[in-house]
Amino acid sequence: MAARAGLADPAETRIASRHEEAALGLSGALPRLVVAARRASATVVHGLHGRRRSGVGENFWQYRRFTTGEPVGRIDWRRSARDDHLYVREQEWEAAHTVWIWIDRSRSMAFRSNLAPESKVERAAVLGLALADALVRGGERVGLLGLTRPTASRNAIETLAQALGAAQPDDSGLPPQAHPIARLSEAVVIGDLLAPEAEIAAAVASLAARGGRGHLVMIVDPAEETFPFTGRTEFLDPDGATRVTAGRAEEWREGYVARLARHRAALADIARRHAWSFQIHRTDRPATEPLLALHARLGEAAA
Amino acid sequence: MSALPLAFLSPWLLLGLLALPAIWLLLRLTPPKPRRVDFPPARLLLDVEARRETPVAMPWWLLLLRLALIALIVFALAKPVWNPAPAAPEGAGPLLIALDNGWPAAADWDARAASAETALAAAEDAGRAVALVALADPAREIGLTTAGEARERLRVIAPQPVSPDRRAHLPAIETFFRAHGDAEALWIADGLEAGEARAFGQGLRAALGERPLTVRLDSTGSARGLAGAANLPANLTVRALRAEAAGPETVRVRASDLRGRPLGETEAVFGVGAREATATFDLPVELRNDVARLEIVGARTAGAVQLMDQRSRRRAVGVATGATADTAQPLLAPSYYVTRALAPFADVREARGQGASQAVESFLDQKLPAIVLADVGALSDDAHRRLEAWVENGGVLIRFAGPRLAAAPDDGLSPVRLRQGGRTLGGALAWETPQPLSSFAGSGPFAPLTVPDDVTVTRQVLAEPDADLPDRVWATLGDGTPLVTGARQGKGMTVLFHVTADTRWSNLPLSGAFVDMLRRVVDLAGTGGGQPQAAEGAAAEAGSANAAEARPATLPPTRTLDGNGAFRAPPATAKPVPAEGRAFATPDNPPGFYGPAEAGVAVNTLAADATLARLDLTGLDAATGDVTVAEPTPVAPWLFTIAALAAILDGLAAFLLAGGAGLLGRRSARAAALALAALGLALAAPAPHAQAQTAEKPAYDERFALEATLATRLAYVASGDFEVDRLAKAGLEGLTQALASRTALNPGGPIAVDPAKDELAFFPLLYWPVTQDAAPLDAATRARVDAYMKQGGAILFDTRDAVSGSGGGAESAALKRLLEGLDIPALEPAPRDHVLTKAFYLLNDFPGRYDGSPLWVEALAGEDETEAADRPARAGDGVSPVLITGADFAGAWATGADGRPLLPTSTDERQREMAYRVGVNIVMYTLTGNYKADQVHVPALLERLGQ
Repeated sequence: MAARAGLADPAETRIASRHEEAALGLSGALPRLVVAARRASATVVHGLHGRRRSGVGENFWQYRRFTTGEPVGRIDWRRSARDDHLYVREQEWEAAHTVWIWIDRSRSMAFRSNLAPESKVERAAVLGLALADALVRGGERVGLLGLTRPTASRNAIETLAQALGAAQPDDSGLPPQAHPIARLSEAVVIGDLLAPEAEIAAAVASLAARGGRGHLVMIVDPAEETFPFTGRTEFLDPDGATRVTAGRAEEWREGYVARLARHRAALADIARRHAWSFQIHRTDRPATEPLLALHARLGEAAA
Repeated sequence: MSALPLAFLSPWLLLGLLALPAIWLLLRLTPPKPRRVDFPPARLLLDVEARRETPVAMPWWLLLLRLALIALIVFALAKPVWNPAPAAPEGAGPLLIALDNGWPAAADWDARAASAETALAAAEDAGRAVALVALADPAREIGLTTAGEARERLRVIAPQPVSPDRRAHLPAIETFFRAHGDAEALWIADGLEAGEARAFGQGLRAALGERPLTVRLDSTGSARGLAGAANLPANLTVRALRAEAAGPETVRVRASDLRGRPLGETEAVFGVGAREATATFDLPVELRNDVARLEIVGARTAGAVQLMDQRSRRRAVGVATGATADTAQPLLAPSYYVTRALAPFADVREARGQGASQAVESFLDQKLPAIVLADVGALSDDAHRRLEAWVENGGVLIRFAGPRLAAAPDDGLSPVRLRQGGRTLGGALAWETPQPLSSFAGSGPFAPLTVPDDVTVTRQVLAEPDADLPDRVWATLGDGTPLVTGARQGKGMTVLFHVTADTRWSNLPLSGAFVDMLRRVVDLAGTGGGQPQAAEGAAAEAGSANAAEARPATLPPTRTLDGNGAFRAPPATAKPVPAEGRAFATPDNPPGFYGPAEAGVAVNTLAADATLARLDLTGLDAATGDVTVAEPTPVAPWLFTIAALAAILDGLAAFLLAGGAGLLGRRSARAAALALAALGLALAAPAPHAQAQTAEKPAYDERFALEATLATRLAYVASGDFEVDRLAKAGLEGLTQALASRTALNPGGPIAVDPAKDELAFFPLLYWPVTQDAAPLDAATRARVDAYMKQGGAILFDTRDAVSGSGGGAESAALKRLLEGLDIPALEPAPRDHVLTKAFYLLNDFPGRYDGSPLWVEALAGEDETEAADRPARAGDGVSPVLITGADFAGAWATGADGRPLLPTSTDERQREMAYRVGVNIVMYTLTGNYKADQVHVPALLERLGQ
């Protein structure tokens, strides 16, 4: 029997609404998520991070030979007095970035199979808030894309969590396209990224229109990756009211895995095109893994 | 009809089974309902190329289950019936129903009646007239009735306790068939040949001519019977009968007495192919004599009941001897060997300490069936006359020779005329040698016995060689002289052993043959010495000829059996039986007891030699059917139930197939909790019942028993009043300390008991404070307290009211109320010389917290004053079970935790000391009994020893 796909009937949209409630119930879970986020961010020592280059800053970076034509006032006489050369003292360049974080709040994010400890949206929130916390403590300014203005305050995590909890449901599954980020800002897009590749490409292109850099984090439930279904199964898409009936789900696994790989390849391609990073995170892995990776990339991107 | 007793009321519905293949196809085509899962990347699946999409077929077992479910429903709708009602004889003319209602039909009478009822109902449906004939009832003209009337008649037909006399009905039946040319016959037979069943069947066939005859009979079994009960010397036997020479079978036979009390039960085992089995009761002869009724347990038919009257009882034999002063040396007594020889099979009555004439008269008064006279020469005239009359009426007189008999003139009570004097063989001056026993006469009762070769006779009395002597000789010696002679006199018999009953003249009494011979002789005795007991006295007066005439010729029925073998009042149709009884019952003489209870005769349904045979219908042109009509059972409910179960199974399977297991797994915790709750509910429901049951059982409290017995303890009865109980406990604690410090007794701590629940036997003394509002004891508690007192316990009742003046103590109203119904002995205030005053301390009175209240004890048996004067103490044999005071002992004994008294006494502390002494004395008294009373004699005894 061929796969049957179509619009779900109202009864099934009710099933979808179940997930909506779960997503909205995120606000209820936020205090817990905030704690989890703090715990995760505590493992990432940030500090006011140097940019590993000389520039305007307070910290010593290096002494270098005075080259002619430079203002004489830059000469560090104390160092130059020790030998025959003239030295210039350079400070490390320090600058606060703006990092825009976007967390997918669509209904499909509320999915949790029994292989995973928590739903995708929860993991996304933990990841986003922990990242925000780590960045704020590192002196960056962090904002939720489309929800808040960037802030560098210490209690940014609470502010962001409140904004997240109060946010209207958003079923688009993609960041808003109206706000391209500034050139030196960075965007972190956290979501399941299951929208069609073209839409994702458009959204990323829109965000990166002004040269802003970014990171795509694809949150994946283990069930979405391993496809552990057998027998006659009907698959319901919580977001799109898509319904697919598989006569023997086990026979679909191979094709699905290939299709998923293609999807990911397309996403990686999109990211590479805009010099963004792309990483995949499974919810059965600890949240600190993507956090560390993100943190490292944020750091190196600025270099 | 098929081989199975299964029929369908709506068979056309079975056509629905044809739809099964279509349903099968349909089910094959319909895939099972898919599992529904949420899957966010479902959109990606749209692009997946499904390679080979064979639909998941329904598992074959599920398909089978569903087909079976549908088939079950189709079957159920077709209204199947198990054991459908058999078709009645088809036809339009009148129907004659001949119904066996003799004793063999009684056991399954309900089935027979139901069978007849079914036939009646069928006839009613067909609008046929019916004639109903009960074959054990008297024959009468047969008329047609409607089925309804016949049903009314059928209700009053009851099984009769006799074999049906079927032949008697044949003329009426023939008349009936002649009058109704189109009539048919249905015979519901009991399956036994008894009552000329085959002849009746042939007659019925002949009367019917070409018309059909239907016979219903139980093809597998028939009634069991009992016959030929015999109270043998060693045991009681009865023959169990069956008509089929079938496989092994065991029936239980129960013996009961006249009042229906069971005396014994035994088994009769039919061997393979045997139609007869013997049940043997090994009971003592006394019990066997009481057996009045033997029956097959559960047979419920008169044929399985054997009634036994006094004729089958073991005989009582009176033994009288002419010798005097026998009892001093029993081994020398002439009656010793006879008594020992008779004892195994007869009830021996001996006359002790009276002369032969008185003994004989007393035996006659006891109406014994047999009397042994050992060497009795002459009797008084009166005794002689009565004895003669008794023999004429059936008594058996056994005489032994001896010097007195040899010397006495012929008294007419010997079977043969005797020569005066005897003869001695083998003596010093005799030529002959001692003669052995040579033969038993073939016509005599000893004929079956083997002649013992160890019997020798040294002396005997000789018979006159009369013409009839040879007929009367039962045993002869080697030289041809008679050893035992016997002759019938009237209805009775006289037997003479020509030797003594002891070993002086022969060693016959020492031989085993003696026992056998006596047994045979006593067996000859009519079962009752004078059956016409009422007339016995008159007969004795008037002589034997008149006595025979005075005997009533018939006996009226007293209790008869109904068809099921239960006793009932005799029916109006029952007639008296001849005095000698009847071999078997007839409609006029139904089985039962006739005549007075002690001297009546029993009539049994089956003759003693009866056998049972099956009715043989071979060669008889008749359609046979089974009589027991099994109730038609609709099967549909069961099928529907199974279908419902299958539907539930199907639902479960569909649920599991659609991924319900995962759902279950996720919710396993909740499901488990639910299941546990349900289980708990299910268990809780019967729990109260179980508790009620366990509550019924008196709980044996081992902890209490151990606690009470590992040390000797004083105990008090908890009154329920906290203050009273507290004081009682404190008082007994104080007394316990006093005992431990002053005496050798070291009791454990006092313990509270509830006489309604706790075992009292552990305690030598119960202190029972009586409150003013004490409720009377209930019956069970009273019985326990009574038993406690009877078995040696002592209870000290303390009404604690001596302070309120007179009327306390034993006169307290509360105490009277409490003790109402208890078996209390006569009481008296303990006298000054009562052992209580000396048991440990020497006491003058018995003060407690209050002074002046007497201590009431069981009144001692009055000893005469003189003895009382010089004895220092009085005591009965036991301890007074009741001690009653009003002095509040516990209040005086009570000490607090610091060892100081709790309550003041009415006078001073010396009174408390005296109260302790009273307590010690009471405990010592209950523990030692009258020991102390004996001890006080020691000085006097020592003084005597010294002298």
